[in-house]
Amino acid sequence: MKKLLLLAALPLTLAFTALPNGKFVSRAVQVTFFSHTALEDITANNYTGTSTIEPATGDVVFSIPMQGFEFEKALMQKHFNSDKFLDTQKYPKAKFTGTIVNLSAIDFQKDGTYTADVKGQMTIKDKTNPVTAKGTVTVTGGKVGIESKFPIVLGDYGISFVKGKPSTNIAQSVDVTVKAECTHEQ
Amino acid sequence: MSNNSSTKRNWLRKALLAVAIIALLGGGYAFYLFNMPHRDVLATKADAAIDAQALVDEFLKDGAAANAKYLDAEGESKVLAVSGTVSSKETDLKGQAVVLLKTEGADAGVRCSFTAETNAQADGLKIGDIATIKGVIRVGASFDADLDLYEHAVLEKCSLVH
Repeated sequence: MKKLLLLAALPLTLAFTALPNGKFVSRAVQVTFFSHTALEDITANNYTGTSTIEPATGDVVFSIPMQGFEFEKALMQKHFNSDKFLDTQKYPKAKFTGTIVNLSAIDFQKDGTYTADVKGQMTIKDKTNPVTAKGTVTVTGGKVGIESKFPIVLGDYGISFVKGKPSTNIAQSVDVTVKAECTHEQ
Repeated sequence: MSNNSSTKRNWLRKALLAVAIIALLGGGYAFYLFNMPHRDVLATKADAAIDAQALVDEFLKDGAAANAKYLDAEGESKVLAVSGTVSSKETDLKGQAVVLLKTEGADAGVRCSFTAETNAQADGLKIGDIATIKGVIRVGASFDADLDLYEHAVLEKCSLVH
């Protein structure tokens, strides 16, 4: 039942608002976990995150309230939150901080689709690990969309299953997909 | 001898029946757990009524203590009726109305996400209105150095109290 850790895929979708200093802020963020095993596919969605992107430096930050993840099964959600897995009472947020390393290849002022190389760090619970991801930046009429996908190994964050349903029904590696939509409003 | 064997048979029958009942109950309980419905926040009475600014201040003052007070270990955190000034209205990526209750000039507020079922309740709210909104708290307010921003407290499954 503790299939919660099937965080096999983590798509994030963001809508950003530009601050006066040029930094985009989004409080309309979508994160989706997806875990695939032969026995079961598990998905969880989250719409409670906050994100910023700084076009001048390429810095990208996502802060995700962990209790905002909703699973189809209530029991999975409880296990996900419990101290055996994500311990969300003690660690209420996960965070990604990264940088678009090929920033010069992206023109945030010009409509088009650009490939972004992102390097950063993901912190879940009290563990931080490096993450490298390829992403797509889409600029359309002043709006900026970002999409990226990368895997997370649950064991790197101290989440492991050695027996029972979780060990068979939860994927050990999680794909993380990040989607972002940024809008200039100010 | 025949008495003896009939007693044995009776005993066996009872034991089998007991095992069957236990298996049925156990199976039923497992089935219930597996299919346990989500908590109906809309139908849940608020655990507490609190002013938006007071809630924000509690988390900013001592985040760990506020986490322990408001967040549940299994995610079934406190259902709060939060009162404050409507500071902004947005729609999230699920199409849910999101109303920010925040005192003018405050660092952070309380972000209230409605549901497909309750979205219409937010329609009548205007910026500057005083409202009381009930929902389950997902996270408290805090300052994040990486974002270089204050993050709002978040309530989900919201409905308008008044």
